[in-house]
Amino acid sequence: MAEQRESHLWKWLLCTPALLVLVLAASGPLFIVLAYSFLTPGTMGGVRWEFSTEGWFRVFLQRDIFDPDEVRWNQAHLTIFWRSISLSLQTTIICAVLGFPTAWFIATRPPHRRALWLFLITIPFWTNLLIRTFAIQELIRNNGTINTLLMRTGIIDSPIQMMFTDFAVLLGMAYVFMPLMVLPLYAAMDKLDFRLVEAGYDLYASRIKVLWYVILPLVKPGFIAGSILVFIPSIGAYVTPRVLGGGRTMMLGNLIALQFGQGRNWPLGAALAVVMLVIVVTTLVLYLRWANREGGQVRV
Amino acid sequence: MKDQTARDSVEIEITGLSKVFGQGAAAFSALSDIDLTIRTGEFFTLLGPSGCGKTTLLRVIAGFEQPSTGSLRINGREVAGKGPNARPVNTVFQNYALFPHMSVADNIGFGLKMLGKPRAEVAATTADMLRLVKMEEMAERKPAQISGGQQQRVALARALAPRPRVLLLDEPLSALDLKLRKEMQGELKRLQAETGITFIFVTHDQEEALTMSDRVAVMSAGRILQLGSPHEIYHAPRERFVADFIGDTNFMELPVARLEKGGAFVTLPGGSETRAELPEGLTPVIGEKVTVVIRPEQVQMAPPDAAEMTGTVESATFFGTDTHVHLRLSDGQGFILRRQNSARTEEPAPGAVMGLKLSPGALRVLRD
Amino acid sequence: MFRRSYSVSHLPGFGFVAILTFLMLYLPILVLVIFSFNAGVSQSIWEGFSLQWYEAAFRNRQVRDVSIRSLWLAATAAGIATMVATLAALGTTRTGRFPGQTMIYALINQPLMVPEVVTGVALLIFVAAIKVQTGYTGMGYLVAAHTAFCIPFAYLPIRARLETMDINLERAAADLYATPLQAFRYITLPLLVPGILAGFMLGFVISLDTVVITEFVKSAGQDTLPTYMLGQLRRTVTPEMNAIATLFLALSLMIVTAFFLITRKRGA
Ligand SMILES: Nc1ncnc2c1ncn2[C@@H]1O[C@H](COP(=O)(O)OP(=O)(O)O)[C@@H](O)[C@H]1O
Ligand SMILES: [Mg+2]
Repeated sequence: MAEQRESHLWKWLLCTPALLVLVLAASGPLFIVLAYSFLTPGTMGGVRWEFSTEGWFRVFLQRDIFDPDEVRWNQAHLTIFWRSISLSLQTTIICAVLGFPTAWFIATRPPHRRALWLFLITIPFWTNLLIRTFAIQELIRNNGTINTLLMRTGIIDSPIQMMFTDFAVLLGMAYVFMPLMVLPLYAAMDKLDFRLVEAGYDLYASRIKVLWYVILPLVKPGFIAGSILVFIPSIGAYVTPRVLGGGRTMMLGNLIALQFGQGRNWPLGAALAVVMLVIVVTTLVLYLRWANREGGQVRV
Repeated sequence: MKDQTARDSVEIEITGLSKVFGQGAAAFSALSDIDLTIRTGEFFTLLGPSGCGKTTLLRVIAGFEQPSTGSLRINGREVAGKGPNARPVNTVFQNYALFPHMSVADNIGFGLKMLGKPRAEVAATTADMLRLVKMEEMAERKPAQISGGQQQRVALARALAPRPRVLLLDEPLSALDLKLRKEMQGELKRLQAETGITFIFVTHDQEEALTMSDRVAVMSAGRILQLGSPHEIYHAPRERFVADFIGDTNFMELPVARLEKGGAFVTLPGGSETRAELPEGLTPVIGEKVTVVIRPEQVQMAPPDAAEMTGTVESATFFGTDTHVHLRLSDGQGFILRRQNSARTEEPAPGAVMGLKLSPGALRVLRD
Repeated sequence: MFRRSYSVSHLPGFGFVAILTFLMLYLPILVLVIFSFNAGVSQSIWEGFSLQWYEAAFRNRQVRDVSIRSLWLAATAAGIATMVATLAALGTTRTGRFPGQTMIYALINQPLMVPEVVTGVALLIFVAAIKVQTGYTGMGYLVAAHTAFCIPFAYLPIRARLETMDINLERAAADLYATPLQAFRYITLPLLVPGILAGFMLGFVISLDTVVITEFVKSAGQDTLPTYMLGQLRRTVTPEMNAIATLFLALSLMIVTAFFLITRKRGA
């Protein structure tokens, strides 16, 4: 019907300004990245407009300096990929292990106090990630709070090296992404019908069994959502590994940035960025598929 | 005040109107073939079960929906195609739809303000309306700060303030509890009498429709089945649906014995013949069964020798002022009788045989 | 004595872990704030209360410049984002499905899903190309990048507000002779204000926090507070940084608290 088409046109017109900004300054440039990954690096950064697959080649492989035909795995890159995935998974696990009891604790407070606890979880979520990372740095520096305290009390006599290790990055990421796990878990628990838990006890289940057979299956959607919400920014992390990890414990984000800085290899950087995007999108798509199959509502 | 000439002039004229939602296989006909004339100044009620199209008809009149076919004239002017803001019609919404960010007074004055009336007039009319609905003290409150019944009054005042020709009310009392509802029914009648505005009132409550209306249109499945005064609708239902929907009713399948001018003699269970009114244009075949209807209060208990028919008591339900007696007639059909109670009447015992006498002229043949 | 009643929600050890988690979340920030008031240079040994680091921060010309730039950028980007998000929310709520709806949602939510580094380098490439073509090196790039990034955050509360708004209110306005424009001006817009305010605040906080995208998009001399801090972290940090961070935190906290108060209050 013409009337209907006209009202659709209106909807589109209303969305146009927002879509224009988004396409120009967010979505559109992503396609340029894809295009750049197939060009030749310029000597001073930038690109030369010559088609090349060298950028993609170098994502996982490298050529011998003396004999360009000898191809080997690019060990440095593989290490960084592995570190990125491994640290992201570990971050997710730490957040889940600590986040579950925390969400449960909040969900079982009396209703009028729940809002306050929830607010306490949300605050770090909205405060600057850089500042939170900085706060961790101050704690674990060689002459930071922890080392100073330990040395003053005589427990150790030389500082423990914590900065610039995988541990530091892991600690930092778990710290900054924790609220992303607690919030969806809490949302799932808030909907939990406690009569089901009572029914579990009524049918002779122990606390552990109720937890395992009743509570966990019911809050599983929250668990999965929280894990996705932690895993995705972990894979894409840049600030935390840069500040706490430094050059020795780079993650994928830092490797990408490096190609646009000292590395001066924009096509490689672009290819790596596309790889990161693919990892993130694949994770998301798998999650959405799962969520749709479960019939749960997906909130974006 | 209503004057007789205004009463007889036509306010709304609807001819051949239908409304179809969706298209193709999913098309759904919410209103079919509506012909309706509403007179100026009357209290007109659309009555019917949920989903029969009452709201849709009201929304078509208000201008929120456009009819698929047919014409709709308000005060002689065709309004199909005009938006709600171009019709001299106001609506009292089912959930009131009071603007939460405006005071009671601002809510009431909104329509006049939109019509571009001078500020002084808006203020004066608002004050009048506040007085009319007895809400002077609440003028500066927000809708959230007044009770449900008060919100109802404000919604009424808001819709009345621009002095529309027609006021549309979609189940305005359904959210109120019983006591408040009775009170508001009286209030609505008073407002209608004082303002002389045509009210089109939607309800699924037959009692409400009967007590309040000048005329009632009974709807079912998108059609108007019968239109008439509450008295006609109650006492002279033309179709089984109307008889069934309004009040308790006894239906009997009885053979026609002979015909008479405007009536038919039917054979009651037990053999005696009695006259039943015939609806216009219906001529039943002698010897064939027709459906007749009689209200439970139009049947009296009688000694068996003076009775027209007899029944066996199955159960009796005590309602205070009266008792409903469920009987089984001699031919096996069920039958309900409503008996007025006094301190001395005894409750009928199950199994007892009871003689029945029908009020003259109470039996009617249905078109079916 | 009576036994305590059986608490079905109790799970042993959970309370302990929860408190530990809250401590873990707040201790580092607390330490950071405390040492911003330290009289000495140390981040770990308390040498008495002093406001000297705050004075130092206020006297630091560069800190002043980047702070003002950050606030200006956040206000501009959040402002534009809120405006366009309001229009988009009006276009996408309270309707049935319409052609292209999924695409519009995907575009609006895209900045939430794509890692900031990827958006960052994408914009770096794009901006570099435009700079070569036009020679323009102003703040426009940062404004555009931040605006796009703020849109999904501004959009969320506005859409939520619209979705809970009773559509009968606008119908009632139309019934009372309001034109569509008047109905928007007198009914929809006033009722939408809390959502718009909330959207602006979220956008503002998000823009203030954005560091990665800024880092890649900024031209020389366009440092914002976060990128300035990121640069400083490489060096030995003095409690001046704690002072700046504390002020920054306080600002975010204030906005977020206001946001919560606005969104929690229902109705007008
Ligand atoms: N916008 C619509 N689209 C499709 N069907 C509708 C729409 N509005 C009403 N209907 C259908 O029309 C019928 C009549 O609805 P309505 O007029 O609301 O009934 P009533 O008010 O008598 O309860 C119902 O079956 C309803 O489902
Ligand atoms: Mg209805």
